[in-house]
Amino acid sequence: MMERSPNGSRAPYVARLESVGRCLPATRLTTDKLMASTRHHTRIDLERLTGIHERRVSDGHEHSLSLAASAAADCLSRSRHRPEDLELVVSCSITKYRDDLVQWLEPPMSVAVAESIGAVNAVTFDLSNACAGMLTGVFVVANRIRRGEIRRGMVVSGEYISQLGVNAAAHVRSLMSRELASLTLGDAGAAVIVERAPDGARGIEVAGFTTVSQHSRLCFAYPAKHDLGARMFTNARAIHRVAIADMPFLFQETLEAAGLEIGDIDYVIPHQTSARAIRKGMGEVCEALGDTPRHQAVVTVDRYGNTASTTHFVALVEELRAGRLHAGDRVVLVALASGLEIGFVLFTVDEELVGTYGNDD
Amino acid sequence: MATTIEAVAVASSRWPTRRSARKLADDAIRTSVARAGVTTNDIDLLLNAGLYRERILGEPALAALIQTDVGANPEDPHDGRHGTFSFDVANGTCGPLTALQIADGFLRAGTVQHALIVASDADPGRGLAPRFPFAASGAAVVCRWDDDGGGLVGFRWETSPRDGDLLRARVAFERGRNVLRIEEDPAFGERAAAWAGKAAAALLADHGVGPDDVDLVIPSPLTAAFLDALPAHLGVDGDRLVTVPGADRVHTAGLLVALAAAHEQGRFGDARRVLLVSASAGIVAGAALITR
Repeated sequence: MMERSPNGSRAPYVARLESVGRCLPATRLTTDKLMASTRHHTRIDLERLTGIHERRVSDGHEHSLSLAASAAADCLSRSRHRPEDLELVVSCSITKYRDDLVQWLEPPMSVAVAESIGAVNAVTFDLSNACAGMLTGVFVVANRIRRGEIRRGMVVSGEYISQLGVNAAAHVRSLMSRELASLTLGDAGAAVIVERAPDGARGIEVAGFTTVSQHSRLCFAYPAKHDLGARMFTNARAIHRVAIADMPFLFQETLEAAGLEIGDIDYVIPHQTSARAIRKGMGEVCEALGDTPRHQAVVTVDRYGNTASTTHFVALVEELRAGRLHAGDRVVLVALASGLEIGFVLFTVDEELVGTYGNDD
Repeated sequence: MATTIEAVAVASSRWPTRRSARKLADDAIRTSVARAGVTTNDIDLLLNAGLYRERILGEPALAALIQTDVGANPEDPHDGRHGTFSFDVANGTCGPLTALQIADGFLRAGTVQHALIVASDADPGRGLAPRFPFAASGAAVVCRWDDDGGGLVGFRWETSPRDGDLLRARVAFERGRNVLRIEEDPAFGERAAAWAGKAAAALLADHGVGPDDVDLVIPSPLTAAFLDALPAHLGVDGDRLVTVPGADRVHTAGLLVALAAAHEQGRFGDARRVLLVSASAGIVAGAALITR
């Protein structure tokens, strides 16, 4: 399903990204150190395979809620809006840990995040869509803004997910291990405020998602039976194959909906699984579409690992902080997640969003 | 012009320990889709609002597995097929009402033609949930946009974080294994009814309607204390509430089970103004109004 903006009387408004924030734990865990902790002698060169040099991990004091709340506070510190102006807070994390590794199923995480930032007037709920969670949240919030139902809402996530890597380190034996992907994970929080754009602004031009559910059994994660936290089992090669097969068609569909070609796109921010997979996947897309975006695909997985549902906004903040994004740049955020979820959010960066990081070093 | 509820169906089991939340969802969807006179390939948006499923699966969204089971456009995308988008909504027993609002949004925008909401819970199995308190049950509704008829006209929500300790469900590591514990304070039902009453009052005020103008109230069954306290907080007679014997052990599917009962009793079709009311851990409380 796809939404273009504006779209007649039923959805006359355009949504834009007003501000974005993130929270990264201070502790760095290098791939060398993680692989040195495996119980079995694996002979796996994970850094060469994935391009991941290090990731940030909680030292036990940070968890899903605190990462989400800190990212939300960071986002608000860069925003024109006060917490009480938020009409909606949607929490989209896979992990819902508080009190270290206690997974809270009820009450929802969104209630606690809203309370911690003082969003006293916000309607709250959680949604869960694996690593496509935050982009799904943006899609849902933008829908309400486009119809004029609300003016602004926050999409937030906190992922304390590195514990899956700790568990995997105790079980991985070889390259064929289904827990290998767990060793790529890192912790992070991210938040974005989506609001109604001024008349004439481009904002989010197109957003579209589909679930290719015949591949829904390629990745499972659930609480471990006898290990602290959870475990994840992934057929990463098969996911990569499906992504390469399906992505060009869906990317093309998104571009056509916006009346654009791939050469009109300045930056593509894909889900961050592995630097090698991103470069190979984008290469296939570009070959199929007959051109390339103006810049290479954004890669942050080398520094932060795969931070699950937060990767796109961790990377977006990275690009804004580095001053690489400019007003008028067209950016495509590409979701690829267990399910198999494939989604695109195509938006134009504006002066105000660039300005939210204008004073950072 | 409004989102209408096309069909609703319930799935339950006399063998609570033998059923899975996913299969209950599958059964409810197949029945609801057949009643709506459509096929699962007609479903553009599939939202799962259930919480307690096999192994307490965190990834992928259970909605994706359900989508495969029921055959809602599971195949790789190709020309001429619109596909199905599915994901999970987690808002406790308010999940179906939240999902209904999300579906209503995409139907209102004309983005989708048919949306399906399903909710189910069952013991996660494998010893994860000792004394799991909820009945194995599931329910589904099919919604579509109606250019001519009446339907959903609005939603309202209230949140009370200071009551957040009254119902908690947590998975924690105890004596060498992960265990789900669900704790409910005896005061939860009454407090939840009070917040549901506030949400409903605000909604009715939005639409210039008084409690006396409401023909039918469809509440999430939640607990007996909730249902006992609710009429007074809503300002309506108890006989206008739809109640389902034994449904107070039904968790996320509760609102949809009550909706199905209203259909079966012939009360839903006859009512001009219907109030849907739900409350859950948080405390989060919500209300929706259907007018014809």
